[in-house]
Amino acid sequence: MTAGAIRYEGVSFTYPDAERPALTDVGVALPEGTFALAAGPTGAGKSTFLRAANGLVPHFTGGRFSGRVTTGGRDTLEHAPRALADVIAFVPQDPAASFVVDRVEDELAYGMENLGVDATHMRRRVEEMLDLLDLAALRDRSVRTISGGEQQRVAIAAALAAGPRILILDEPTSQLDPQGAEDVMAALQRLVHDHGMTVVLAEHRLERVAGWVDLALGFDRGRVRAGDPSSVLRELGVGPPVARLGRLIGWDPAPLTVRAARRAARSLQLVAPPAHGTSSNGDGRLLAEAKGLTVRYDGRPALRDIDLRVHAGEIVTVMGRNGAGKSTLLGALAGVRDPAAGTVTVKGRTPRPGVDAALCPQDPDRILFTDSVRAEVDATLHARGDVGPADPWLERLGIAELAEHHPRDLSAGQRLLVATAATAATDAPLLLLDEPTRGLDPDAKTRLVRFLRARAADGLAAIVATHDVELAAAVGTRVVMLGAGEIVADGDPGSVLGDSYVFAPQMTRVFGPGWLTPEQVAAAIA
Amino acid sequence: MSVRPTQTFHPAAWIVWATCAGFVAFVTTDPVYLVLLIAVSWFVHASNRATTASDRSFRVFLIAGLVALVLRTSLAFLGAVVPSIGAVTSATIAFAFLEGLRLATILVVFGTFNAVTDPFGLVRMAPRRFHEPALAAALALSIAPRTIASVGDVREAQRLRGLPVSGLRSLPSLAVPVLERGMEEASTLAESMDARGHGRGRRSRYRPQRWSVAAIAVAATAVVAAAAFLSASIAGWGGLHPATAPIAWPQGDPRLLVAIALLATPGFLRTDGAP
Amino acid sequence: MNVAVETPRVDPVVRPPWLARAPRVRTGLLVVANLLGLAAFFWPFVVPSLVRASDENHGGDGPWILVALAAILLALLFLELGRGGLGPKTVALLGVLGAAMVALRLPGFVAGFSAMFIVVLIAGNAFGPSFGFLLGAVGTFASGLFLGGLGPWLPFQMVAVGWVGAGAGLLPHGNGWTARIAWLAGYGIASGYAFGMIMGLWFWPFLTDGSPLAWSPTAGAAMNLRHYLAFYAVDAFVWDSFRAVGNAVLVVVVGRPLLGALDRAARRMRLDVI
Repeated sequence: MTAGAIRYEGVSFTYPDAERPALTDVGVALPEGTFALAAGPTGAGKSTFLRAANGLVPHFTGGRFSGRVTTGGRDTLEHAPRALADVIAFVPQDPAASFVVDRVEDELAYGMENLGVDATHMRRRVEEMLDLLDLAALRDRSVRTISGGEQQRVAIAAALAAGPRILILDEPTSQLDPQGAEDVMAALQRLVHDHGMTVVLAEHRLERVAGWVDLALGFDRGRVRAGDPSSVLRELGVGPPVARLGRLIGWDPAPLTVRAARRAARSLQLVAPPAHGTSSNGDGRLLAEAKGLTVRYDGRPALRDIDLRVHAGEIVTVMGRNGAGKSTLLGALAGVRDPAAGTVTVKGRTPRPGVDAALCPQDPDRILFTDSVRAEVDATLHARGDVGPADPWLERLGIAELAEHHPRDLSAGQRLLVATAATAATDAPLLLLDEPTRGLDPDAKTRLVRFLRARAADGLAAIVATHDVELAAAVGTRVVMLGAGEIVADGDPGSVLGDSYVFAPQMTRVFGPGWLTPEQVAAAIA
Repeated sequence: MSVRPTQTFHPAAWIVWATCAGFVAFVTTDPVYLVLLIAVSWFVHASNRATTASDRSFRVFLIAGLVALVLRTSLAFLGAVVPSIGAVTSATIAFAFLEGLRLATILVVFGTFNAVTDPFGLVRMAPRRFHEPALAAALALSIAPRTIASVGDVREAQRLRGLPVSGLRSLPSLAVPVLERGMEEASTLAESMDARGHGRGRRSRYRPQRWSVAAIAVAATAVVAAAAFLSASIAGWGGLHPATAPIAWPQGDPRLLVAIALLATPGFLRTDGAP
Repeated sequence: MNVAVETPRVDPVVRPPWLARAPRVRTGLLVVANLLGLAAFFWPFVVPSLVRASDENHGGDGPWILVALAAILLALLFLELGRGGLGPKTVALLGVLGAAMVALRLPGFVAGFSAMFIVVLIAGNAFGPSFGFLLGAVGTFASGLFLGGLGPWLPFQMVAVGWVGAGAGLLPHGNGWTARIAWLAGYGIASGYAFGMIMGLWFWPFLTDGSPLAWSPTAGAAMNLRHYLAFYAVDAFVWDSFRAVGNAVLVVVVGRPLLGALDRAARRMRLDVI
């Protein structure tokens, strides 16, 4: 088919009640067999663009739509999403919320049942999908009890089972650890290379995806430019660390993968030796301590014999694969996980939750309940009898201009900043952040990092659990690596991350242990 | 819900069994029939129960049956306290006891039914016209554990942010995030359903549940048992309601005793690894 | 090419032309079906005078007939409300809110009070009587499945909770929050008792011992009604008061923020409130 898999012609779209359009005069054609990445800051129109491909925009959302989107030769205005289900599949950001049936095998069949596929054909397709995404062992499990990476693969298999040739994914790796992300990307690449599928995905974590795709769509305030990934990302001023380095030192084209960067780096001479052994203990005052800490769930140890000392002024990042015990460690330090053995103290006594240690949850929606950003911070302040204004807290996170907005109207990244402000307003000396990077665009990430550094400078401490190696490299004064509930490494980011296959940041992979950020490398070039 | 009960017979066979057994319990107050039916029910439960969780639900029904029996009987003693309700005689007490026993028997029968059936199997059985409400019920069933967990998560998260988490005034800070997250999920779910062709009109069924010979036998014997009691009720034979004034010793009609024994069929048949 | 178009309406409902032309006819049908259902539930008061002289052995058949009636009514209402398909949005919302009912039914009962009702009251009020009915029925069914509480009382319970939700959707919204919450709190009290009265009807005809609390297949409607009220006063009034008061308290404490959340979600999902 020469018409291409998806074609956007002069597409503009405005959500109901929105002031400005989410998409403006978008014209893009995606040929069959494309592996495309939609990149750009939050609110630039990525999600709207993806949803327009199968008609969820405008059929599901309402609003004003002009122009034309043709998917598999069908006009999406004339075809509701359900009428396109046989040509295009869509996997939303939270696959766990998209499951309709309880059992993995039945979930794969659900789409085909809707299309009226006959029973024998259905049976064969389900078996094929189980094999294609390596799910055969999970066929009888409940979709609710498998891991996040497995859920993502089930969602992809369920979307594909009905036989569409186009697959759309909204931030498919946002809830996965590095290895889980790698597995999903490899599966997608196999679909493109071996089966000629067209795959389009949106993703913030460019270091995880930029090297896999062959086309990038750059989004800027509703306008889209398609091109080769390297140049599109350069135009957006974003990219994985290797690309940022390439731009800093004038490589053209800027590399997108570690492999390409390594090739380009052969000619480089780095003068300064990599920073080693600079683990900072803040100002040296002990703030929080775990001694011989063991925590059990249902009799099984989730944490084993943990010794950890956190000093005032430190920002410790805790890393490790899903299920390694990161969240449990934060919970124990905050005083809501009772130790089976050992002790936890903050400022020399058992931590009082929300007083000595405060935790901002992974999902900010878990705590947002009022109808304005200001009221949200006020709720925390009132709970501890503080009648002071909320504004200083909002300013510290750079969200003062959002004070009167409803938290639900904000982007995921902005909501996380609001939740962080509401948590920090407890004025607890120890601030814990559980996986703060989900849906966080670079701008919001910068604000968060700036806030944490300012707190550290004031002699407060923070512990950040994260999968995001680049965040750990950028903000952490110290990295603690967990494996199966035990501390397997604890030290400065350079040595801990540099020593890891899975968690090494890109600069380490290119230049060796100790090199963490592009800025650091650029400064060291002779 | 993480442990999936293994389906024994076709769920419709169990529905027929429970309805017929319930009907039998219903048309008689003869303790001989009722006690036998409780024993049969217990036997069927013991040989077909699906998981330890369903064991628990059976016990709840058993306790509810006992409570019903005690309550109903004690209601008869109310006459001693409130004279206008009537006099307390051995006849009224016996009558109340038998009615209570009947209620308890019905509860035990349905306790068995709940313990041996897979809820998802029941929902899958819904006729095509009721596909959507049945799907909604199945969704509620499968999302519920997540919602329960969500309540706990939100409570802990608010506590870690320094908010009070007990008392009426803390309810909005707990209820709003749970509901908002739910609505977010509903939106994602609806999009996903639409994108996967929900509501295109033509529907086929993946691995439909099949009737095995054993399941047919379960249903057929149950119908025979119920028919025996129905005809006894219509024809007035078999002494379905023993006299209570004066109290007479109940006499089980052998034909009806056999009918109740037929209800034990699912306890004897080997399930054939239904779908 | 660049002609702006308003979005086509989603979920086109396929109806026979005469119905499409007369949506009021459909509403009328629903009202009639519900009234007939209500009349059927009051069967114990109506029928005895008709079959006064019938065989005494059949006196106890009442509850079974009632259960069958409830099941038939339920099936008819589901067919009518789901005519042309509920669509993914409604199904998804029923699933999520039904799950909330299941979750709240687990821990939350003190005598007749169950926190489950707050979901039905709020969602019925926000999304209208049809949705309220569907949610009440589906959520009750799901919690029966989840808790292993399936039995002949289930159709009865489904219809009764469904009516609670439908009623909440018929309340006037008034001007501003205070009026809306006041209406809903008052309805919470009324429906708390009404629900108990309807549920009592399923159980009551089991009581046939001839006492002044019992159902008598040979007595007249007025006499049976007196008996039922006496039975209700003795058996259920205090129990139901917990439900009535609990409903009202919950509506006052969380009604406004929860309704706000549902209204916003309805706007976001472009839900047609019926």
